[in-house]
Amino acid sequence: MRPIRVWRALREQGVLGINRRNSAYTLRWNPRRFYPNVDDKLRTKDLCRRAGIPTPELLAVAHHHFELRELGPQLARLHDFVLKPAHGAMGKGILVVRGRDGDRFITTGGRPLSLGDLLYHAAGIISGLYALGGQPDFAMVEERLIVHPEMAAIATDGVPDIRVVVYRGVPAMAMTRLPTRLSGGRANIHQGAVAAGIDLGSGRTTSAIYQRRRIREHPDSGEPLLGREIPGFKDLLSIAVRAADETGLGYVGADLVVDERRGPVLLEMNARPGLMVQLANRSGLLPRLRAIDLCAQDGRSVDERLDLGIRIAQAAGAPESSA
Amino acid sequence: MNRLAAATGLVLVVLGLGVFAWKVFGYGMPVVAQDPEGLWRIELSITVRGSGGRGSVRAPLPSAAPGQEIYDESSVSDRLVFAIRTEGSNRIAVWRGQIGDLHDLSYGYRVRLSPSKYALPAEIEAPSRELLRSFGRASGSFPSGAPQIAEVLDKLALPPAEDLPGRLRSIYAFLAHEIAVLEGGSDDALIALANRGGSERGKAALLVSLLRAAGIPARPVLGLELGPGSPRETVWVEAWAGDWLPLSPTGAFFASLPANLLVLRTGALAGVESTGTQALSYRYQSLREHLRADELATLMVPPNPIFTAISLYQLPVPTQSALRTLLLVPLGALILALFRNVIGFQTYGTFMPVLVAFALRQSHLGMGLSMVAGVIGVGVMGRLVLDRLRLLLVPRLSILLCVVVLGVTAFAIIGKGFENRDFFAGVLFPIVILTMLCERFSIAIAEEGMRNALARMGYSLLVIAAVYPVMRNARAEHLMFSFPELIFAVMGCLVWIGGYTGYRLMDLIRFRSFANPNEGSA
Repeated sequence: MRPIRVWRALREQGVLGINRRNSAYTLRWNPRRFYPNVDDKLRTKDLCRRAGIPTPELLAVAHHHFELRELGPQLARLHDFVLKPAHGAMGKGILVVRGRDGDRFITTGGRPLSLGDLLYHAAGIISGLYALGGQPDFAMVEERLIVHPEMAAIATDGVPDIRVVVYRGVPAMAMTRLPTRLSGGRANIHQGAVAAGIDLGSGRTTSAIYQRRRIREHPDSGEPLLGREIPGFKDLLSIAVRAADETGLGYVGADLVVDERRGPVLLEMNARPGLMVQLANRSGLLPRLRAIDLCAQDGRSVDERLDLGIRIAQAAGAPESSA
Repeated sequence: MNRLAAATGLVLVVLGLGVFAWKVFGYGMPVVAQDPEGLWRIELSITVRGSGGRGSVRAPLPSAAPGQEIYDESSVSDRLVFAIRTEGSNRIAVWRGQIGDLHDLSYGYRVRLSPSKYALPAEIEAPSRELLRSFGRASGSFPSGAPQIAEVLDKLALPPAEDLPGRLRSIYAFLAHEIAVLEGGSDDALIALANRGGSERGKAALLVSLLRAAGIPARPVLGLELGPGSPRETVWVEAWAGDWLPLSPTGAFFASLPANLLVLRTGALAGVESTGTQALSYRYQSLREHLRADELATLMVPPNPIFTAISLYQLPVPTQSALRTLLLVPLGALILALFRNVIGFQTYGTFMPVLVAFALRQSHLGMGLSMVAGVIGVGVMGRLVLDRLRLLLVPRLSILLCVVVLGVTAFAIIGKGFENRDFFAGVLFPIVILTMLCERFSIAIAEEGMRNALARMGYSLLVIAAVYPVMRNARAEHLMFSFPELIFAVMGCLVWIGGYTGYRLMDLIRFRSFANPNEGSA
């Protein structure tokens, strides 16, 4: 590696580095007072519900141990759901119930659990077992999403999600993160998930990376990964943009999942979106962010901004989008 | 970088460096600590045994001379009467009285030595008659009238008497090239000449004899050579050239005196001697000394009312030593910021590397890092066990804290067992920070996987290793303590680093595939 050559290449292609992201984008456009809007998942959900943005439906919440008594009958009425900690990180403490067998709750792993087992798990969540930051935690029961078959086809046992970077209300770049066997079903690129860049205009994947290498097929299943269309991508972009509007943050990452029945659903928002999206798209963020700066003005409708984002993305053009 | 940040940084750097330059160039404050060179504490310990009769012990004492300051003298006389006798330019310590069984005598002093250089005068007055009588005549030890000596001078074909430097050089060169220093060689000048080699004393005696025969007054000098070990008694020669010029073909100096030589006595080579005793033994000990706080203050406080008022050298000594180490922390933070924001190393805990390097500054780096790794290892193991107990956060962290404290205590005990003081450094470890480090490391293993967690730990240790040399550097300490205004310059640099929006080195590595479009395509 020749550092100067790499430096020049990064500058030419407008790759955004961490220092510039922090000083020129997150520090500049994300006022601290809006952070709770994204850090507290219940609050994000509440904001979205009021704005009519689809999120996984909240079926029940238990903040304190005494509320578990009411949680029992609520769970007993449900067929399938997800029981998870509100402040959990990286999928710890998440229990997915895919169906019922009489009184028994069947998890995705096929393990039958009694109602008592579930309540014990919820009590653990409230006790802060899965909270890494040390804040008081509570148990959430959410609707179980069913991954759209077209997305499920390019992922290995896990929920693939789509990250959209929204800058000043305009979508700038998007990628999808596909779990692999290596990543243990988690959509975490650092742990070995596949990242595939998405062309904002067509909603199709353009390039993919896995463990820092460019790939064309899914490492586990061999499914082709390029040119795959994300179902309902236009809706997905519009949800991301509206959610960004709600949070008040100017530089934000929106994470969504495409549900079989409901279409795109917002999972969570991130105030410090990473830079991996550039590698997945083989394209730098800076030209797009600068173009947005030039064109951005308040009061544009969501559709206008979607168009703007798509036009800018196509003008910036991933150099090998046809690859 | 935005203009405001660039300008603010510039103002701070200029302010810091400006005051620094003012103190250095305006008031001549030394940038490098002057302290160490030539500052010694020397102690002469003498043990004598007698049979109860009257007796005396004599020892040469150094006198104040150019490049040689003596102070803080003290003596232990152990039932004898002590006096200092002056003989010419020499001082002799004398202990007198009934010498019974054993007497432990000692004489201690501090000296400050500086290297001296002498200019060889172009022309000099003829030496006075008195000088010639004392130091120009042949004597038993210095047979300058012997025919062998005259023969050597003939062969050397000395320059005329007016060219004194030339004569000195010829004789010096003869001694340097033709006469060796032999182990167990003779102390006698003529035997040394005949054998083309003798003891150090023999060679010095030959030099004195030759110089006197050439009409140059000369005298031997007894002194101490100070170094890392115990001081060694040594001899050299002084020749008269308007002033006494030290020279020694053995010590390889001419018209100059190195700073590690202390003059004990001139004109005679008698060391510690006694009369009326049965046995006598003595030894010299030396220790490198530092300037006392008040001496340093006179050196380091510039004569300006403002600088005097804010000089840190005016503070009480314990406060000074605490501040000395404290003032290094900003430098450590600067290095840390460089590593994090310009190079892009991820470390655990923002200031953890600086604090750990600070704690390690008294011990060896490898040892210290292994200890940190050990404590973290124990902590992470503890955390894994605690995970199974499913405890709430604060009690869990507190238990982890106990484990870390136990680990550090264990190191102290191990250190005692192995008699290795390095282990004790653990006591200074930032316990709370290490506890949080164990917690975060465990979380990182869960969230980012073992490889990433370990990589980050490696970066943290690397930054510790980079900060460590600065935290224990005496020069940096002197610089920051004498010129605390440099902290403004450090702050200025930090503003610049904070405003740096270019790529980090790690960005280049992470995004290197952008440099060759076809790399790695499947």
